[in-house]
Amino acid sequence: MVERGAGRGSQPAAFDRIVFKNASEHHYMRVCVEFQEGGIRLNAAHFKQLVISALKELHGEVGAALPVDVLTYEEKTLSAILRVPSSGLVKLWSALTLLGSYQNRKCAFRVIQTSPFLLALSGNSRELLLD
Amino acid sequence: MVRFKHRYLLCEIVSEDPRCRQCIDERAVSAAAKDAVARTHGDYGLACCSISFTVKYLNAYTGIVLLRCRKDFYRLLWSALPFVTYLENRNQRYSCFFNTLHVGGTIRTCQKFLVQYNRKQLLLLLHNCTSEEERQSIQKSVLSCCLKEVEEEQSQSGDEEDDCAETD
Repeated sequence: MVERGAGRGSQPAAFDRIVFKNASEHHYMRVCVEFQEGGIRLNAAHFKQLVISALKELHGEVGAALPVDVLTYEEKTLSAILRVPSSGLVKLWSALTLLGSYQNRKCAFRVIQTSPFLLALSGNSRELLLD
Repeated sequence: MVRFKHRYLLCEIVSEDPRCRQCIDERAVSAAAKDAVARTHGDYGLACCSISFTVKYLNAYTGIVLLRCRKDFYRLLWSALPFVTYLENRNQRYSCFFNTLHVGGTIRTCQKFLVQYNRKQLLLLLHNCTSEEERQSIQKSVLSCCLKEVEEEQSQSGDEEDDCAETD
C-alpha cells in the first residue's frame, strides 16, 4: 500500500474494477478433416462450404448463418483454425462431430485444440518433439 | 411436483385464397409447422420440437390453430412459424401465413384469450361489414355474447358477496 505524503488534503487513489465474465468473445478451434479414401484435395472455399453444410444439416438456416471464419487452412494436412463467437461454440462443435459424409464420401472431423485465446493454439504439447 | 411443462401457441392462419379453409386440417398444419422447423433449425430443432408436438385445437372457419410443444423448446417453434408459406393437402397447395396471437402455459389461458379476441373480432367485423343482413346477424351474435358476459358478471359478483359473508 502506497500512501501519499500530502495527508488529508489529497484524494485517495482511485481505481476501477472491471470484471470480465467471459474471457473472450470468440473461441478458436484447430480442426482437421479425415476422409475414408485418401488423396482428396480441398481448397479453402470447399473447406468452408463443408463446415457450413455441416451446420446447416444439424442446425438449419439459423445454424448456417453462424459467423464462422476459417483463419488459416493447410491443404496438405487438411487442417484449419476456425473462429466462432463463444455463443455458437456448442453448435459448431456438435455439427462438426455429427458430420458423416461430404458429397457421398465418408469423412470425419478431428478437433485437435480449442481455446478462447488464439495464442494458445500456437503450441501443442502433444506434438512437441524433444530432441 | 415434477411434470412436463408445455407451451401452447395460439396461431391464426391467414390466407388470400378462400379455398384454403377446406385444406386446413390437423395433418397439413402439423406437416407445415414441422417442415418449417426442419428448415430453420435443422435436425436438432426438428427433434426437439417434435417431442410433445400436437395440434390441440383447430377451427377451419376462423383459421385458429392451437399448437403444443415442450416449454424448453417453444422458442424454436415460435421462431420457425413465420417461415411457413403454404399448406399442402391432397396435392393442393395454398399459400398462407401463420400469425401468432398468444403464447400460454395452459389450454385454459389460451381459451380465455381466444374468447376475448373473438369478441374484439366481432366488433371489427360489425364495423367493416357491407350488406344489411350481415350487419343484422353480426349484431345478433355481438348482443348474445355481451349479454352472457353481463349475466356472468352478475352471478360472479353474487358469489363473491356470499364468499365475503362467509369469511366475515
